[in-house]
Amino acid sequence: MSGPRTIERERTRALALLLTPITLLLGIFFLIPLGITIVYSVLEPGLYGGVVWSFYPYNYGRLFGWPLGAGEEFEPLYIQILLNSLKYALLTVIVSLALCYPVAFWVSRMSGMAKNLMLFAITLPFFANLLIRIYAWLLLMRPTGTINSALMSLGVLDKPLNMMFTEFAVIVGLVYVLIPFMFLPIYASVERLDWSLVQASQDLGATPFQTFRRIILPLTAPGILGGCVIVFIPALGNFIVPSFLGGSKVQLIGNVIERQFLQARNWPFGSTLSTVIMGSVMLIVLLYALGMRGSSSRAARKRADSV
Amino acid sequence: MRPEREPTVSNRRRISRGSAALNVYGASFLVFLYAPLVLIFVYSFNANPINMAIWSGFTLDWYRTLFGMQPAGAAFDAAFTENPDRIYQVVRNSLIVALSASAISTAIGTATALATARFQFFGKKLYQALLFLPMIMPDIVLGIALLIFFVGAGFKLSLLTIIIGHCTFLSCYVYVVVSARLASMDTALEKASADLGAGPFTTFRRITLPLIMPGVLGGFLLAFIISLDDVVITYFIAGVDTQTLPLFILAMLRRGIRPQINALAVLLIVFSFVVASAGLYFRSRRT
Repeated sequence: MSGPRTIERERTRALALLLTPITLLLGIFFLIPLGITIVYSVLEPGLYGGVVWSFYPYNYGRLFGWPLGAGEEFEPLYIQILLNSLKYALLTVIVSLALCYPVAFWVSRMSGMAKNLMLFAITLPFFANLLIRIYAWLLLMRPTGTINSALMSLGVLDKPLNMMFTEFAVIVGLVYVLIPFMFLPIYASVERLDWSLVQASQDLGATPFQTFRRIILPLTAPGILGGCVIVFIPALGNFIVPSFLGGSKVQLIGNVIERQFLQARNWPFGSTLSTVIMGSVMLIVLLYALGMRGSSSRAARKRADSV
Repeated sequence: MRPEREPTVSNRRRISRGSAALNVYGASFLVFLYAPLVLIFVYSFNANPINMAIWSGFTLDWYRTLFGMQPAGAAFDAAFTENPDRIYQVVRNSLIVALSASAISTAIGTATALATARFQFFGKKLYQALLFLPMIMPDIVLGIALLIFFVGAGFKLSLLTIIIGHCTFLSCYVYVVVSARLASMDTALEKASADLGAGPFTTFRRITLPLIMPGVLGGFLLAFIISLDDVVITYFIAGVDTQTLPLFILAMLRRGIRPQINALAVLLIVFSFVVASAGLYFRSRRT
């Protein structure tokens, strides 16, 4: 029989055994590669691809205008592309939030079986291949595509509407690809919504708009915020959607990074851009974590006040 | 559960008008999600080789040629076909990667979930935060980080590098699925087993594992399909001779739109949906 001490020792051994694989995996193949990306961002690009191992902060100069030296020039184009990428990510967040929010209420009002089926139906398209989902919109929106053919045969249009390679096409593509990420967190918070509070607000004579603004919106805010964060981040780095639906018209930061690595072969500058995205992601996640902590302690205080 | 107030007449009218509008809205949302996929499905049977938007009869040719069969249609242009041997090879690559990566990730993710759910240890919060990062980091950042790392460390880009790359984010994904399962599980049986003198390994094998099995299986299937469909990370860390199915489709799309893509897309969607449905079913199943 094993005594308490042997069990304690066995538990420690078990814990070490359980944590070793993930520690090695994420340590070697996640943290170190991200670290190397940051290191590469301050190395000198070699003549034919490759890098020269000397400190070279001028990649950042090329992007932000400072520091400059060693023949690197400030290229405002990149800042513009970066800001443009932020704009696209923000638009994607706004559109998908607007689309999903009412649907979350629709689904939450369903009963048992129907609700589960609907959640399943909304989650499932996420598992269709990314390229195929983008390809579908290519078929729909190109000049000889479904939408144009239908509208022309109905006589609504006499020449095809130009939808491809526009801002519109890229936003549609990003929203379509990322929408499950917005829906699920919003739905989770709508499902938890305490309807007796909504009832109370109506009983006390609040208008629907007041009830929405003062009760429903604050209570579902955590889900909205979560959805916005996990849509914004992948939208920021996406390069497949703009390369198919935006063509050469819409260039986002992901396209530039891809080109630095696979065509221009300037890995340090590509790493610089990648490090900037990585930094933005960390900042957003940090702000989100702080925001959530703040809101939960505020809620706790409110609850304490009301007692 | 929610207390319903007796609606007044005007209220009732407002509510029913509201829910009718919401039904229409919800239905259009589903159309938005599924119509593009249904469209590919319909097009994949359209005999028109030039303009898919114009229906010119039903054909199975696009499917037949994928498998190397002779097309039945007379007006078939051989320039539209991909080499079936090539398709077979990329599918094989994809399956090897997806099976290995999801199996390894299931083991690692489950182990990690057990550690955080059943043990107290120094730095647990840090681990939990770290486990979310690979899932939230944009694919391109992870893809190029792995590319730089593999090239720098002297790895030859191959199926192995793809498998390793997929494991980094799939492990975290399985971790989340299995953790949810462990959190909703009753620990009384585990306590009883320990009280009766079973060591942690015996308790795990005889009690915990059977109880979390649906979650583990669900995590495995979802990881499998995410790996099979991954485009961006694979794009950066695949070798020239180790193309996967999504990379093959990417190359096909870059050369132009052909009807054969529709057939291939339909087969892949159907396969993904079947495996993902099974995964979602197991993930949500109660004991």
